[in-house]
This record gives sequence, C-alpha cells and structure tokens, in this order.
Amino acid sequence: MGNNPTHLPSFLPRVPEFITLHQITKTFPPNVVALDGVSVSFEAGEIHAVVGENGAGKSTLMKVLYGLYRPDRGQILLGNQSVRFHSANDAIAAGVGMVHQEILLIPEYTVWQNVVLGAEPRTRWGTLDVARARGAVQAKIDAFGFNIDPDAPVGELSVAARQKVEILKLLYRDVSVLILDEPTAVLTPLEVPQLFAELRRLRAAGKTILFISHHLDEVLELSDRITVLRRGKKVDTVPAASTSKSELARMMVGRELMFTARRAAQPKGEIILRVEGVYYRDKQGVSRLRDVSLTVRAGEIVGIAGVEGNGQYELVNVLVGLEHAEAGSIFINGHDLTHASILERRRHIAFVAQDRSKLAASVSASVAENAIMTHHRLNEMFARRRWRLDMRQAGAFTEQMRKQFTVAMSRPDQPFRALSGGNQQKVILGRELLLERPFLLLDQPTRGLDVGSTEYVREQIAQQRDAGRAILLISSDLEELFSLTDRIAVMYRGAIVADVPTAQTDLEQVGAWMLQGRNQRTAQSA
Amino acid sequence: MNGQKLLAALAGIALALSIGALVLLIEGRSPLDVYAALVALSIGDVDKAAITIKNAVPLILTGLSASLAFASGPINLGQPGQFLMGALAVTLVGITVDLPAPLMIPLLMIAAAAGGALWAGAAAVLRHVFNMSEFIVTLMLNSIADLFTAWLITIGGPLAEAGALSPRSPAITSSGRLGEIGVFNLSILVMALVAVAIWYVFHRTRPGYEWRIAGQNALFARLGGCPVDRNFFIVMLLSGALAGLAGGLLVMSGPYRFIRGIGANYAWDGVMIAVVANSALGATVLYGLFFAALQTGALGMELLTAVPSEFIQVLQAVIVLVSVASRGYLSVLLDRLTLRRLSRPSPNRT
Amino acid sequence: MRIVIGLLNGMLAGATPVLLAALGGAFTFYAGVFNIAMEGMLLAGAFCAALGSFFSGSWVIGVLCAIAGALSLSVLFILFAIVLKTDEFVTGIALNLFAAGATTYLLRQLFGVRGAFTDPAIQPMPRLEIPLLAQIPLAGEVLSGQNVMVYGAALAVLVCAWLIFRTPFGLRLRAAGYNAASLESSGVRPARVRIAALLICGVLCGLGGAFLSLGYVRLFAEGMSAGRGWIALAAVILVNGNPWGVALITLVFGLADGLGLLAQGLNVPAQFTGMAPYLATLIALFVYARRKSRARSGSSIQA
Repeated sequence: MGNNPTHLPSFLPRVPEFITLHQITKTFPPNVVALDGVSVSFEAGEIHAVVGENGAGKSTLMKVLYGLYRPDRGQILLGNQSVRFHSANDAIAAGVGMVHQEILLIPEYTVWQNVVLGAEPRTRWGTLDVARARGAVQAKIDAFGFNIDPDAPVGELSVAARQKVEILKLLYRDVSVLILDEPTAVLTPLEVPQLFAELRRLRAAGKTILFISHHLDEVLELSDRITVLRRGKKVDTVPAASTSKSELARMMVGRELMFTARRAAQPKGEIILRVEGVYYRDKQGVSRLRDVSLTVRAGEIVGIAGVEGNGQYELVNVLVGLEHAEAGSIFINGHDLTHASILERRRHIAFVAQDRSKLAASVSASVAENAIMTHHRLNEMFARRRWRLDMRQAGAFTEQMRKQFTVAMSRPDQPFRALSGGNQQKVILGRELLLERPFLLLDQPTRGLDVGSTEYVREQIAQQRDAGRAILLISSDLEELFSLTDRIAVMYRGAIVADVPTAQTDLEQVGAWMLQGRNQRTAQSA
Repeated sequence: MNGQKLLAALAGIALALSIGALVLLIEGRSPLDVYAALVALSIGDVDKAAITIKNAVPLILTGLSASLAFASGPINLGQPGQFLMGALAVTLVGITVDLPAPLMIPLLMIAAAAGGALWAGAAAVLRHVFNMSEFIVTLMLNSIADLFTAWLITIGGPLAEAGALSPRSPAITSSGRLGEIGVFNLSILVMALVAVAIWYVFHRTRPGYEWRIAGQNALFARLGGCPVDRNFFIVMLLSGALAGLAGGLLVMSGPYRFIRGIGANYAWDGVMIAVVANSALGATVLYGLFFAALQTGALGMELLTAVPSEFIQVLQAVIVLVSVASRGYLSVLLDRLTLRRLSRPSPNRT
Repeated sequence: MRIVIGLLNGMLAGATPVLLAALGGAFTFYAGVFNIAMEGMLLAGAFCAALGSFFSGSWVIGVLCAIAGALSLSVLFILFAIVLKTDEFVTGIALNLFAAGATTYLLRQLFGVRGAFTDPAIQPMPRLEIPLLAQIPLAGEVLSGQNVMVYGAALAVLVCAWLIFRTPFGLRLRAAGYNAASLESSGVRPARVRIAALLICGVLCGLGGAFLSLGYVRLFAEGMSAGRGWIALAAVILVNGNPWGVALITLVFGLADGLGLLAQGLNVPAQFTGMAPYLATLIALFVYARRKSRARSGSSIQA
C-alpha cells in the first residue's frame, strides 16, 4: 500500500507536541474516502476531543492512530520519530491504547482475567500467576480510584463498569495515551460525571486522553482542546476555552440544516397501530418490554426516542413477529396480530430494519432478488401465479423501482453488495414503500447514510405520511425525530415514559426523559 | 458461471493436475501418458463416453442433493445413507412387486426417492422437533444406514439371496430394469430430466427463490415473510429424495440388486462435488461429469500405465482443495487489486 | 464379574481414540475454529502409524509418524482456512476427502494391497502393567494392563485441562473463541492462537489414529476411522469443549461400544452392535437438546 515515508513534513514539532498525525488519508473500497489529508497534533497531558457528525472520520482517525487501520498515505509521529503501527500491539507497546465504542471484553471472564489477557504474569512453571495478576490489577484499581471488584465476572457488570475495565486494561499496560471512542454514549447521565472525574485524575497523572464525541456540552466541559472533522477533513483545532457550542456545531455541520418537514397539525386519521400493555422477556428471562402501549394514526409519524438498549430493539422484534409478546396485544388496521405469523403481519406492515446486511437484505443476492422480497408473496404482480416466479418481471419491477427511487445501479441482476450504502437503503426503502401497507415501521432508516441519502430518505418518509400511512420511526438521532414526527414517545428501561406531541416538547426535555425516565415523567405528565 | 468463476475453476483444475503430475514425476512416471490414458479411456469414443455419463448419474444426483441443501441452508451430509435407503427401497419394491415396465419403472423411482426422503426426513424431524443439529444427525444416520443394509443382505440375513456366496439381495424384477437407448443408459435420461427440473424449481419458482434467499440470509427471508422452517423441511426431503434416486437408479441400471458396498464409491462424492461447485446447480452437473470421467478413466489407466486407480482419489481431493482455495484466493486478490486502484491518489481529487 | 471387566475394558478401548480426537477438537472449539477434519486426521494418523511401525519395527516411531501424518493435515488446514481464508467447513470436508484418498492410494502404492494391510512386521503398542495397581483384586484387571495409549489418553485429559484452564495460553485460547475481537484488542493475534490449537489437535488426533492401527490390532484398513472423528466432534459440541466433559462423554460412547461387544456375545448381529456408538451419539444429542430447551423455558418462567 502506497506509503511514502521519505517525504517528511515541512514542519517539525517545536512545541512539546507528543503525537502528530500528518496528512493522513484513508480510503475504503469501493469508493469511500474516510480521511482526506488530516493533520492533528496532540500534546502530552491534555484531554483532546475529536468531534464531528456520523461519518466525519473520527473513529477512522483514531483507529489509524491505534494501528487497526493502515493509512493509505500520511505519517504518525511520536515526538520527532516517525512510527508505523501494524497492529494494536505496536500501538500499545508505544504507549497508545484505545477503548472502543463497542466494548470488547469477554463476559465469561472475570475483571482481572480480562485485564491481564495478552500480558499475563507467569509462574516459574509457565502457568498463569493468578496471585500476581490479581495483585497488579488491584494496584491499578487503587491507584486510580476505580471502584471495581477484580474477581467479578465481566458479564455481570454494568456498562459503566465494563468501560472502566477497558480503561484498566490499558493502564495495566502502562499506556500514556488513551483513546476513548464515544465513551459517554453507553452511560447513564449519573455515570458521566464519575467517568469525567476519573479521566481528569488520569490527566493529572500525566496521561494524554483523546476522546471522540458528538455531545458538544460534554466536549466543552471536559476537554482542553477540540478538533473538528467534517466529511473526512479537519476543519480546525480550537482551545475549548475560546469556543462555543454554536461555533462547534457550525464547524461540524458546515451549513444550516436544510431539511425541515414540520407542518401544521392536520386532522388525524383513524388508529392504525394499537399496542396495548405489551410485556416481553428475552431468552435469559430479563424483562425487556414493560407495559408498552402505543397508538399510531393514519397520516401520523410517531417517533421512538431512547438511549440504545432501552427496549427499542425488542419492540421492533415483537411488532414484526421475530419475538412474541408475553402479555398484551398488537392490533394493526383492526387485525389482532398478537399471535400472527410473520407473513400474516407483513400483510399490514412495511418494515425497514436497522441492520441492512443482517435483516433487510441478502448482500450476496442480486438487486432484483432483494427488491422482490415480500412482494413475491403479497404483490399481485407476482402472487398471481402459484409456482412460477418470473425473473423477467422481477427485473422490470426493479427497473421501475430504480426510476422511482433514483437508485444508482447498472442492471437488476447486479449483486446487491456492489451498490453503495445509500443505494442499498433506497432499494430496501423502495421495496417496503411499494408494498403500500398501511403501517410503516422504520428502525434507524438513515443510520450510516451520507447527507444526501439521509435527506432523500427523510423526504420519502414525509411523503408517505402525506399519503396517509401510519409511521413508527425509531431513531437515535433526536434531530431527525424533531424534524419528522408528530409525536415522540420516549423509551426508558423497556417502558414508554413519555408520549407527547412533538410541538409541545423540546430537545432538552426529551433528552432528560431518555436519561432519567419515569421521575421526570411524573413531574411532567399532562 | 461468470468469467471470474470460470477462470478460478479452470485455474484450480489446472493447478491440481500439475500437482498430480508432480506426484507422478516423483514416482518416475510420465504424467502425459497417464493423463492421455485418462482422457482416452473416459471420453475417447462414444462407448466410453456413454459409460462415463452413466457413471456420472449417481455423482450428479448426490451432488445436486448436497448443492440444493447447502444453497438453501440445511447442512445435509447424509447423502451416503440416503443413497443406500433409496437403493434399498428399490430393491424391496423390485423384489416384491411385478408390474409392466411403464408402471414398474416410475414406481421404483418413486420408491427410491421416498427411501432417501424418509432418511433425510428423519433428520429433519429431529431438527424441527428437538432442535438437534441436522449436520451431525445426518452423519450418524449414514453409519446406521450402512450397518442396517449390510445386515439385511448379509449371508443368512432377511434380504439375502438364498444360496449366494457374497452378501447380496435377490435381483429385482426384469421389468424394473433400465436398459440402453443406443449406447446410452436410460438412467442418464432420468438424471437429465431431474437435473433440469431441480434447476427450474430452484431458479424459476417462488419456493426456489425462498430457498435461495434463506440459504444466503435466513433471517432476511424470515422477515420477508418466507416460511423458513417449512422450507427447511421441504428442502431436506427433496435433497434426500435426490440422493435416494441416485441409489435407486444405480440398482436399476447396474447390478439390479443390492450388493455389499454399493454406495461406497459414492459415499462422499456428492458433498465433494457440491463443495467444488460452490453449491451452484449448473456447476454441480459439470463437475459431476468431470469427476465421473476421472473415475471411469482410472480403471483403464491402471491397466495401461500401472498407476493405481486410487491415484484418482488423491487427484480429486487435490482438485477440491486447490479449486476451493483458489476461488477464495482469487477473490481476495481481486479485492486487493481494486483497493490498490482506488487508494492510488487520483489527479481530480484533492 | 467377568462380564463387567470385559465391558469396562471394551469401554476404555472404544473411548480412547474418540477421546484423543475430541480433546484435539476441544482446543479448536475453544479457539473458535469450526474444525471438522478430525475424521481425516485420525485416518491419516492410523495410516502413518502402521507405515512407521512396519518400516521401523518400532511402535514409538509408528506413533511419531502418526503425529507427523495428522499434523500435516493440520498444516494444510492452517494454510487453507487461516492463511488463504477458505471457508472452514469446506476446508474440513476437503481434507477428510484428501485423507481418505491419500491413504487409499498410498496403501496401494506402498504396500500393493487394497482394503486393508496387515503384517507381522507391524509392531503394536504394548500393554502397560502397573505393579501396584495390578494387585488390586478385580479393579486391577481394568486399571492395569491396558494399552499404553489408554494411559496416554488419561494423561492427555489432565494435560489438556491444565493447558486450557491454568496457563496463559489457555486464557488466550478460550478468549479466541469467546470473543476474537477482544483478544485482538489485547494485542494477541487470534490467528496465532488458532494455529496453535490446530497443531495441538493434529498431535492428539495422531495419537488417536495410532491407537486405531497399533492399539489392539496391527493393521490399517481403508476408512478405519469409521466416523470416530465425527463422534468426537459431537462430543465436543455436547460439552462445549470442556476436557473433563469430553472425557466423561467419550467414556459413555465407549460404554456403548462395550455394550455392543457384549451384545455380540448374545448373538445380536454385529451390524446392530456396531450401531451402538452412533445411536449413543444421537441419544446424547437428543438429551442435550432437551435439556437446553427445558433450561430456556424454565428460566423464563421463574425469572
């Protein structure tokens, strides 16, 4: 891969810049430029935030620094020395460690086992020196004031505690630079100040902390300096003390927000989706949905807000029939679907799933084969024949979809995986919208899409509402919910803790409900 | 097959043949002579080609059985057992029933398919009702079928021919035997019809579409409204029926009876062919013919060149390994080339 | 009493090769490799053991050859599945075919026979009389005087359990299967752990194979692994790789084998008694599936 280490940067660090990333470029096939000539410097003993929208390149940049991705071009300098990390191991050896967004621990192992994994102390006979391992982990726990039991199985710990284990893992390896990828995304609001206190203690001990976030309030509160990325390029690095939330937001987005679909309140149609008192437990017996009741009327978009893992996923599964409710009932368009098969439900539900490659498509099939799913049974065009499936007709159907939803593709028999993410989503959305079912269930329909595709999808959703469909939109993007929905329901620990007209609430209030749930609700309930 | 796949397949075969040639050279034999003998004795003239194609019948049918299953989701490794049960069913019906040929032959074919489907269906039931992995169950049922049929025809066994000196059943009725049209055995026609029918069902019908998609991503198929569990069952039955038919046709066109070791030569060939063909039905037929040519040529080759016919078994395994790996490696290579092209700085991008 | 001792001896003889292969499978199971090549490795081991013993006249050389033979399949597995990233299932199938083909071919090529090769020059593995144990009445007849590989297998259980649960390697091995990404982020390459697991599997399958051809017989027959590699795989899956569990369940399979031998004495046809291990595997799978589904429904009621 084309590196040119001979070409040294024109500037050499004069200030005590500890790590310098110089002109880093990283491309993912087929044609995503994740980083485009990004240069940043991090100083020893600072907390440095990297902010940007989804897809701005924050995570990629940090993974390049951590040796998980090799840059196509550019250099990493430690002090004055150019280094090349071929693996996370190299990075850790050089004193750079990373805590990933998705926590990478082994739930079957205890805290100390997770911490020492890969750098285990040994006895004279080559066995694992349990006493020494536990002692070393306990020493780090004490040194940095973490409140954690080294013998606890990680599977039984809270997310916040697991995050601490990840940090411990790096401290055990004596790293001087800690990279944290959206550390607060998985925390409850009460846990955030504790994490921040711990991070400040680490800074006081001389560690450099790089952290990725898109919560601007947190960034301003915690960090010394802030680097803003937008679409793979660096916008600027600014001291936290001399910037503001609005300035950062402008740098991140780079424009005023274009799309607003809010409209005057309209006469509501009849109730299409009615969920009444649904309870659900997962296979481990953990209660995931508690007394969930919800209605969506024709011509209405209801949004579900919530920190991920508060029952949204399970609600979707129970609605589409992957899981069955323990109690309660689900009516769609007047049909009791509580115990119906998936196919029976699909007569009434159009469904855009969150995970494109796992739930919403077969990437190894052709575009046409993906386009006709569910239509092959429900659409008159295909269902007319009992056995035969006319692939030419499927091609024509796909062609029609291509035109209607402006999908960039060459032929209907092209492999689905050859399409870009945005175009894949257009095919999936097109397929579900062309089903023309009264109820539309959308689970994170714009996740991972670029700005253009996102706007396109949102316009389509608004059109569907105008066409009189009942729409339930699950999104972790509050801005999306506020721009599209008529009502917002907030899920917290498997229950709906608030259900209010969008016009009568605001971002801060919904955010508070998401984080604190019921307490707020009783104070607020109308 | 598109260009890239064809290239990978040919490269794999070429590489495997080269490795085989190397082995022969080390042993001091002439690879050219050996390969020439293989070709001459398998497809050298019409008669030999006819035998090759006849020998391809069980290979292709068990191959289709495995390919159909793998491409649709179920991991049916039970072709050997299903093959034996098909052969057994034909033998049982062929001994006890005697009808005119136009009735007898279809009846025997149905019996063969039913025998195989029954054995596969047992695994499907265990999977469906008790959630036992069909992968291990079909394997265990192979051994059980093998021992069970061996017992039936063992000398003095319930299905053994009276007075026979080797373990074998009595012959089936003559009206149930498949003769030749010209030089070609009728079983070839049956196989061809079945192969076309299976291809049609798999690629041109609604159930086939659902099977294909479920084979690639079962969760997507389920969410799309396909009855995935029922389809699993149907595919298992159909896959078993194909393997059973292979066994049945072999009895009907060859020894006309159940003899010890009848399925031994085809034990893993179906799975092997499905694996090299990447579970594509068309490729399964082609590879079935190719391996049949190797196996048919092998016997003559041994006479001409004194290279043991078992050499072909090694060659087959090498072909499987090399072509499967080259398929994977070629795509890795192509990805890497694409990546390199894309990561190159382009002048119109800043 | 005679019967019980015969049964126990039959059990140990039946369990040993499956146990060794299953211990090997336990390593690859923990490492997160879908390894179905144990059948082929056993076969290669059995062939090479007979080969080595025949030419050298020493069962020790035979065992070393068996290890080398099974290891060569491990190396091929590593080359295809880990280096070239071929599908593990497909690689396993191909290697099993390769082992069957190569042993048949070499049998013909080297010994000029088809089907089976036996020769007085093949030196079998000896029995081991253990002085003190042998004096215990009755139990001594089982505990002492077994084939050396039976003791080898028992020792292997201890060593494997120690390796898996007490060493840094074991910690990494299990991590590779539980969560390879976690291991990777801890600075250990999962591929290396998997390679090590496959090599260990090769060694153990080699030992198991050697027992097949040099244990109670002195012959190699085509396909003499006879599905034991598959049974080993089933055993590993049933106990989630735990070596103690593997030992227990393979003893149960061995017991089925022993019962089969016993039944043969009662005029039950050999073909039916031969089904015993396969039926035992099916029954074990059944019990396992039932227990799992009951555990699931139970937890959702009480919790």
